[in-house]
Amino acid sequence: MREPNAPSRIRGLDWVLAALAAAVGPHVPHVPAWVTLLLLAVCAWRWTADLRGWRLAPLPLRVVVVLVSTVAVFGTYRTLNGIEAGTAFLVLMAAAKLLETRTSRDLTVIVFISWFLLYAALLREQSLSQLPWLLGSAFLTAVALMRVHASSAQAPARHIVRRTLQLLLQAAPLAALLFLLFPRLPGPFWGIDSRSEARTGLDDEMTPGDVSDLSASGEVAFRARFFGVTPRPEQRYWRGPVLHEFDGRSWRRPSAQSFPQPQVTFRGPAIRYQITLQPHARRWVLALDLPSAWSEREVTQSFDLTLLSARPINNVAAFELTSHSDYTAGQSLAESMRRKDLALPRDGTNARSVALGRNLAARHVGNPRAIVGEMLTMFRQQPFEYTMQPPRLADNAVDEFLFTTRKGFCEHYASAFTVVMRAAGVPARVVTGYQGGEFNPFGGYLIVRQSDAHAWSEVWIEGRGWMRVDPTAAVAPERIRGSLIDAVAEDEPVPGRLRDASPIWLQVELGWDAVNDFWNQRVVRFDAQSQFDLLDRLGVDDPDWRALGLGLAGSLAAFFVVLSTYLAWRYRPPPRDWPGRLHDAVIARLRKRGLTPGPAEGPVAFIERAERECPDLARTLADIRKLYAALRYGPAPRTDDLQRLKHAVNSLRV
Amino acid sequence: MRRLLRDLRARIERRARAWIRRRQGADTDPVALRRQRIYILPTRLGVAYGAMLFAMLLGGMNYNNNLGLGLTFLLVSLGLVTMHHAHGTLAGVQLRLLEAIPGFVGSDVRFRLLLEHASNVARPALEIGFARDDPGNVTADLPPRGSREATLVLPAQRRGRVELERFVVSTSHPFGLFRAWAVVHPAYSAIAWPRPAERAMTPPLTATDTGGAQSGAIGAEDFAGLRPFQAGDSLRRVAWKTYARGQGLHTKQFAGTDVVSHIFDYDSLAGLPVESRLEQLCRWVLDAQEHGEAFALRLPGTSIETNVGPAHRERCLNALALFDVPETARA
Repeated sequence: MREPNAPSRIRGLDWVLAALAAAVGPHVPHVPAWVTLLLLAVCAWRWTADLRGWRLAPLPLRVVVVLVSTVAVFGTYRTLNGIEAGTAFLVLMAAAKLLETRTSRDLTVIVFISWFLLYAALLREQSLSQLPWLLGSAFLTAVALMRVHASSAQAPARHIVRRTLQLLLQAAPLAALLFLLFPRLPGPFWGIDSRSEARTGLDDEMTPGDVSDLSASGEVAFRARFFGVTPRPEQRYWRGPVLHEFDGRSWRRPSAQSFPQPQVTFRGPAIRYQITLQPHARRWVLALDLPSAWSEREVTQSFDLTLLSARPINNVAAFELTSHSDYTAGQSLAESMRRKDLALPRDGTNARSVALGRNLAARHVGNPRAIVGEMLTMFRQQPFEYTMQPPRLADNAVDEFLFTTRKGFCEHYASAFTVVMRAAGVPARVVTGYQGGEFNPFGGYLIVRQSDAHAWSEVWIEGRGWMRVDPTAAVAPERIRGSLIDAVAEDEPVPGRLRDASPIWLQVELGWDAVNDFWNQRVVRFDAQSQFDLLDRLGVDDPDWRALGLGLAGSLAAFFVVLSTYLAWRYRPPPRDWPGRLHDAVIARLRKRGLTPGPAEGPVAFIERAERECPDLARTLADIRKLYAALRYGPAPRTDDLQRLKHAVNSLRV
Repeated sequence: MRRLLRDLRARIERRARAWIRRRQGADTDPVALRRQRIYILPTRLGVAYGAMLFAMLLGGMNYNNNLGLGLTFLLVSLGLVTMHHAHGTLAGVQLRLLEAIPGFVGSDVRFRLLLEHASNVARPALEIGFARDDPGNVTADLPPRGSREATLVLPAQRRGRVELERFVVSTSHPFGLFRAWAVVHPAYSAIAWPRPAERAMTPPLTATDTGGAQSGAIGAEDFAGLRPFQAGDSLRRVAWKTYARGQGLHTKQFAGTDVVSHIFDYDSLAGLPVESRLEQLCRWVLDAQEHGEAFALRLPGTSIETNVGPAHRERCLNALALFDVPETARA
């Protein structure tokens, strides 16, 4: 039972709550759990309060809720700025607003918050797969707004949904025009919060187990489209961050990077390609080993030859690159660099590996190539195993791996190899990145997934420069020539591509990937250049900003003309029926004789008066009057009456 | 500061009202809301919506985020489309006065209006009233090709004619982001009757016995039969016993010698101010009607002969209401 003085039920609350829940959905994995739970609790409470007629929260409680949640969000994120903290804050504000929703205006504010949450979800993630959900939520939110503002409480939901759909369909062409023609100004206008959320991808630190964890993800890392020949699988080394600092277990990028840039000479044919990176929240731009030229001015090359973007890559980003697989990197090695790439921890860990390195050095003095060769032979000949599920390693990780477990993934081999090389006095470093890629015949590009993540080594050989050595290739050459599936034991779970997937399913997957690629290229990366290209294809010579502005203004004007015309047509009065139209014709003709019907004069009375005043027309008018009366008021008008009335009206000569 | 803003706003509103009045002129019944006279502006919510979209636009351009921009453009378009719909909902509605219902000073007069349209599309959420966001505004949903009644209420403050000078028909359908409105300056007026005086003074009684000659006069003495109940009959005369027997509502008719008949004369109340006299006459008229008594009304320059019934009562009340009221110079 409702309390007698309870506030009346507020219209559209259920729809608004549903829309808010749908808009919060994409954020649930990203905001702290307590935020989601609090919102759900408030939604449930508000809904019950509406049903039962409970009183709403008093002002002091609402103030406390707002203050506490602001402090809590600030405590969690140390800021209220940025997408992460911003969405958590918005969700809490929606909850606080729900505590006091009394009027349709309050509900509208929640509708606005829902839309803003959807917007934040799009800022975070631009993938095609989440689009149906977001569009559905945006639609649900619009329905909720319509429901809140419908005047009659009993309008059926089906009706409201249909009306909203009509509105959205009418808005869609305008939205498309704005999307295509609204000028895209390059560059950020104010600082973008560089803190961004952790994403799947390479890190600037590598601990044994990291790369194999990453390899368990079938997500796409990037796609590469080659202008010309696609390189062979064993050439597809995609260079990522280079790691120099070793603490006995993990590898890291050095923090201060003031080393001289090495001289690189390229030989052989250039490989030109475009790479489209999925957002990975880091600065590095994956490039085929070794990049020689790039079009973007914001991209620089670090001292260890990795390409770096000026900002973390938080959106899908594309780069046009040129690489050469035949190169000489570095004429000489700076002393600081040499020290760094020979350094090993001095705490006595991995003593057996260090001893192995010293032993190699003693046997091949001044011949680093022989040291490298002997180490690779050891991997090849001794029972080393390539597996995605290596045993856990304790403190002396390298020793344990090299001499006890002998089971590891690429990072174990790269790490152990590099440690032994350093112990043998050969400057060496770990390069992380990706190796391989799957060709997608539907889109004509290479898909590189997280499961293609890889780690290898580079050693410094006097006179030859930095040389890539991939110890994994010695253990599991199938990994390099084919892919992960070919290299690991048959009973290991392999991500991304199902081992026994049917060919049809593989085709479907590749097709879907091609659709995603199209989405990334054409929609997510649509920019000023794409706009000019579009105008160019539409026949505008030398398109510029002015042409774009004119096109936008012109098409908007055209849209509004069409819309107004459509609405006028939709609300048009129904056409007069035939007797009515013929009577109008009679009135028009008699006006020439100075006769107009009076305000209260009916059609029959008017014609009667005309008969009296225009005796010459009396006979025709009398016919017209009788036929009209028969058609309008008669019990059963004859079928040819209308025809005769038309004839009579036509024969009326004034 | 706030007062300054409020003053400024009031001034702008006054100016706008005067401008609209000059632009449109007075309306004649029926009033068709043509496109040219429909104004449209964003509501407060619409302004908030615009601000939100502007923030989204800036953010989307700053982050070069096409999908954020896409959502922004979709919402911008949705807002602009609803603007056109708000306008279309109002354009083509026709209004006419059904009845101007009089009332006593101190209560209200009412104007029953009919809203109609000929299109095949419903026009929901029309609002009729005197100011925006007034809780007293009436809402109406017009069904396709249908009509709806709406009643506007004005307080009857002074005796005489109460003019309905101006009212507003508006809608913020479908999203409440834009409000389209049309101002109507109709030539409608309703009569405000004088406020009935307290029951203090008994009316001067003139009892006449004219036998059957005064056929219209009905007395209170001799029961003369029953006739079907008519609206306006005194409840005291209802034959409740007949009703209780299930034979329907009837009014007892009396005739005969002792017909009570009054002559309510303005001049008999010498010594009272004009308004008090009218209020007293009003009270007498009401009481006489209530008791089923006949009465005549004499005002300087007006004389209404003895009669009974609701029409007579209304005629007398109107005469009282309009006594000595200068006909306002209206176009």
